Amino acid sequence: MAGEAADHVAPHKHLARGALVAWAVFIYFFLFAPIILLVLFSFNANQYGTLPITGWTLHWYHAAFNDFQIQDALKTTLSVALEVTIIATVVGTAAAFPLVRANLPFRSGIRAALTLPIMLPGLLIGVSLLTFFTGVLHLTLSNQTVVIGQAVYVTPFVILVVASRLEGFDRSLERAAADLGANSYQRLRHVVLPLIGPAIFAGALFAFTLSLDEFVITLFLIGGGNTLPIYIYTQVKFGITPEVNALATLLIAASLTITAAAFVVPGALRRVRRGRRISARPATGA
Amino acid sequence: MALTPEATVGRAPAVTPRRAPLSRRLAPYAGFSPAVVLFGGFFLAPLALIVLYSFWEVINYNVVHNWTLDNYHYFFSTPTYVKTLWDTIWVAAVTTALTLLAAFPLAYWLARYVRPAIRRPLLVLIIVPFWTSYLLRVTSWTTILGQKGVLNRFLELIGVIHQPLSFLLYDRPAVIVVLIYLYFPFAALTLYASLERFDWMQMRAAMDLGAPPRAAITRVLLPQIRPGITVSVIFVFIPVLGEYLTPQLVGGTRGVMIGNLIVNFFQGAEYTRGAAISLLIAAMIVVLLVVFRKQLDVADTYGR
Repeated sequence: MAGEAADHVAPHKHLARGALVAWAVFIYFFLFAPIILLVLFSFNANQYGTLPITGWTLHWYHAAFNDFQIQDALKTTLSVALEVTIIATVVGTAAAFPLVRANLPFRSGIRAALTLPIMLPGLLIGVSLLTFFTGVLHLTLSNQTVVIGQAVYVTPFVILVVASRLEGFDRSLERAAADLGANSYQRLRHVVLPLIGPAIFAGALFAFTLSLDEFVITLFLIGGGNTLPIYIYTQVKFGITPEVNALATLLIAASLTITAAAFVVPGALRRVRRGRRISARPATGA
Repeated sequence: MALTPEATVGRAPAVTPRRAPLSRRLAPYAGFSPAVVLFGGFFLAPLALIVLYSFWEVINYNVVHNWTLDNYHYFFSTPTYVKTLWDTIWVAAVTTALTLLAAFPLAYWLARYVRPAIRRPLLVLIIVPFWTSYLLRVTSWTTILGQKGVLNRFLELIGVIHQPLSFLLYDRPAVIVVLIYLYFPFAALTLYASLERFDWMQMRAAMDLGAPPRAAITRVLLPQIRPGITVSVIFVFIPVLGEYLTPQLVGGTRGVMIGNLIVNFFQGAEYTRGAAISLLIAAMIVVLLVVFRKQLDVADTYGR
């Protein structure tokens, strides 16, 4: 069909398709130019962090690594991200089970309510939690208040990832295990978790990346410390320096690496496990 | 995680001879309890507090529990604030329209003309910027649009201009450009998802029956992908309404949006006034979500 059609395509159709391709090229340029420029300028010797390119250097990376403020911000960012990941993964996974499996009235309403923290602007979450912490609970802002704020925003993502895997889960596997005498712990440990484990892992990686990059909520809830995005923001107010570009490049590299892992690792895990199960069968199968 | 569904089907009240004990009936929902603590304690309670604040007043920097509508009255009787609200809605509408106009040809091209083998990597490339830091995606535009920015230098180099253009940054157009940039992936992927399911033979059939291409698109294609269009409108319009960082960094004084207003009030210790505006924005968003809940329910936004 396609080949037959291609034989007598009118010239204006070629033109239209050419215009579509040109538009696509422009769009991809538009999507990546800002990111590529940041990366480019981080290697640029020009001390104003912009054009022209006056030579290539790793000096700004060196400077960023030796800046104790950046080291501090990195430590804060990682410890916050770790706590957020743990909370979001536990809370999100636990909630995904009843969301998919329990006999819920208004299931879609509950699902929508659980994703509301994603749909509401981070600004509103930040401002309302700030008011709540300082006006009602009389807490001093700290890294822990940031952890709570980010967990509210990140957990729905984990719920979505794990729930989507649970929806495709064949429950007859569990019934089979029950028929064979497995108790509920054994069914969870040997049937359910191995099958949805990769999704939980992916959810945890997403949570980590989202926390790493989170800015607006953190801006309102942070106490005396700095996360990397907050540090970058305070620097950018005085103009972008090449050191900030180097830091930005590292942050982008980290987010993309972790996200890529979140997409690739679950599939790989499943394949490895399947391979192991097949090779293990003769040994256990007596 | 009850494994025997029969045990939990206690929903036909009068007929069931004996009900399982309460703990047994609640067991299937136990997984919700951490989420109830997290979202109840740190999402709903703070929002409820904002609702209360919006009807209270601040006296000498302290929130006093006097019920009043003054905060709303103050907002709607101050022309600058009302104008900022309309500006915000206008920016959100223009951004949404331009984002969809930019995304549609790309999604159309991907769904109709690109071989499946190349399609997947091209789709991944659309989502990649979304997975990089939101802050950095905004800040890097200041190096592009600024007086000494990349765009000005480029235009000077090719001889289009001789003086750097100053209106590129710190004005409303900059805000709109950056917002399109930020929310483009949502629109493109949602539109692609609905175009991908469209049966292109229907277009051919319409044209064979004499419909000109324009009519085939407006009468056959568009009605069928309308849910996808609605979802992408929602996914661009809603987050733009609550934007704070973009107008803050690239908007200057003329690019101010309602988000900046909220922050100004809270920073100025006018909590109750800030709360009233926050509630207006939250209410607008929730209304949109409720009105379009059917379309949103089936949407798969994250390109699984």
